[in-house]
Amino acid sequence: MAGERTLICHSCQLALEPRKTDFTYLGHTFYADMLRCPGCGEVFIPEELAKGRIAEVEMQMEDK
Amino acid sequence: MGRRTYSVCPVCLKRIPAERVDEDGGTFLHKACPEHGAFRTILWRGRTDLDAWIGNAEGAPLESPRCPEACGLCPDHLQGTCCVLLEVTKRCDLACRFCFADGGGGAEPAFGDLEAQLRQLAVPGKTLVQLSGGEPTTRADLPELVAAAKAVGCRYVQLNSNGLRLAEDAGYARALADAGLSFVFMQFDGTDDAIHARLRGRPLLAAKRRAIEHCAASNLGVTLVPTVVPGVNTHDLGGILRLAVSLAPAVRGVHFQPVSHLGRIPAPPTDELRFTLDELLAGLERQAEGLLPPGRLLPSHCDHPMCGFHGDFVVGPDGRLAPLSRPRGAGSEGCCGPATADQNRAFVARRWLRPLPVKLEEACCQDLRDLDYFSSRVQTHGFTVTAMAFQDAGNLDLERLRRCSLHVFDHGRFVPFCAYYLSGFPS
Repeated sequence: MAGERTLICHSCQLALEPRKTDFTYLGHTFYADMLRCPGCGEVFIPEELAKGRIAEVEMQMEDK
Repeated sequence: MGRRTYSVCPVCLKRIPAERVDEDGGTFLHKACPEHGAFRTILWRGRTDLDAWIGNAEGAPLESPRCPEACGLCPDHLQGTCCVLLEVTKRCDLACRFCFADGGGGAEPAFGDLEAQLRQLAVPGKTLVQLSGGEPTTRADLPELVAAAKAVGCRYVQLNSNGLRLAEDAGYARALADAGLSFVFMQFDGTDDAIHARLRGRPLLAAKRRAIEHCAASNLGVTLVPTVVPGVNTHDLGGILRLAVSLAPAVRGVHFQPVSHLGRIPAPPTDELRFTLDELLAGLERQAEGLLPPGRLLPSHCDHPMCGFHGDFVVGPDGRLAPLSRPRGAGSEGCCGPATADQNRAFVARRWLRPLPVKLEEACCQDLRDLDYFSSRVQTHGFTVTAMAFQDAGNLDLERLRRCSLHVFDHGRFVPFCAYYLSGFPS
């Protein structure tokens, strides 16, 4: 996830917690462990996830 | 009035005007040769709306009188080369009822000649070359040819084969894999030996199964290629797909080819001997109900939409096909514009290649909604359902031909497949 740092939700001022999170991407529903605010539910998607596993899935699903 | 285009006389092969006409619930090609008379051939049987299927993929008809007589890719051709086919032999160890290449012997090309042609056709790092024939495995030096294709820079080397030699011993598949073979397109006409006997002259099912096992042992992906012939195996479309999916990940897909009347044919075709692309689509979706989600086979974006379809799936842990592409009618046809040959090549190679046996299902649970499991499962168990409807002298439409991305290479010339193998019917 985001290394040793604790990330704080800007709106709620609560520490984000790792939670299994459902999300929809390219018409598919997935889940993955992501940092989520226990207050408002806002999710932090780290660069390593966006450019790593999610980009990999996008490439796998890329239609011709 | 229908849509105006050009075709050829099925007897003398001269270019003649033609018209695509909707009538009797289907779509027909009408044309007349001043010497050999009028012809009418079924193109589409109305199982799917043809206009919606084509979308906005067509432009104005080509008026060049050179097409197709002087064929070799020219500025009027609208698509690049996705796959290039090289005939490495005319010899064959079967005598099939239908054969676009018409086998039958002839001088065997010398290794040096084929190596020189490979060097000419290769765009290093890009080319997908299909070694075809005849039956390529009748050549003792096939592994060396595969290695030569890789040495000149072909990125993917595909073998088009009936599988008989691959079935003989696992060491042969290993030798081809070690030489750099990427994947195998294997003739596979049905799940019943009676089908093989009718189309190929003898029962072949056990040999095909062995060939698939031998390829699997060498991590060579296999795509099954049925020739679909009315009255022979049109009832077995679902059976073929079920068997293929059950053999994943060794089998990477099924590529259906409705019979085309090119080369060796038993008789000039009547409409009853034709199986149109929309019939194939409807028959497959009906027969494979419960396995193949409906509406997920999309018109070709690389070739003309009437020339093929493709569906992209992953075989789930429950053994069913989970779709990766959008459903038909959800913006997946027409509006997206054609795919380039490069895009198409990257797509098919990604599916037909088996990944090296690393990074396998390391996720905690076998659930396609789990991002990690999904990602690894698509790599290992990606599965394509595709079709290509080749054209012959009866149904040839030059507008379709202009969009062809499968090209035969013959001593410096790239020729669209259906132009290269075009042959006249006996009058």
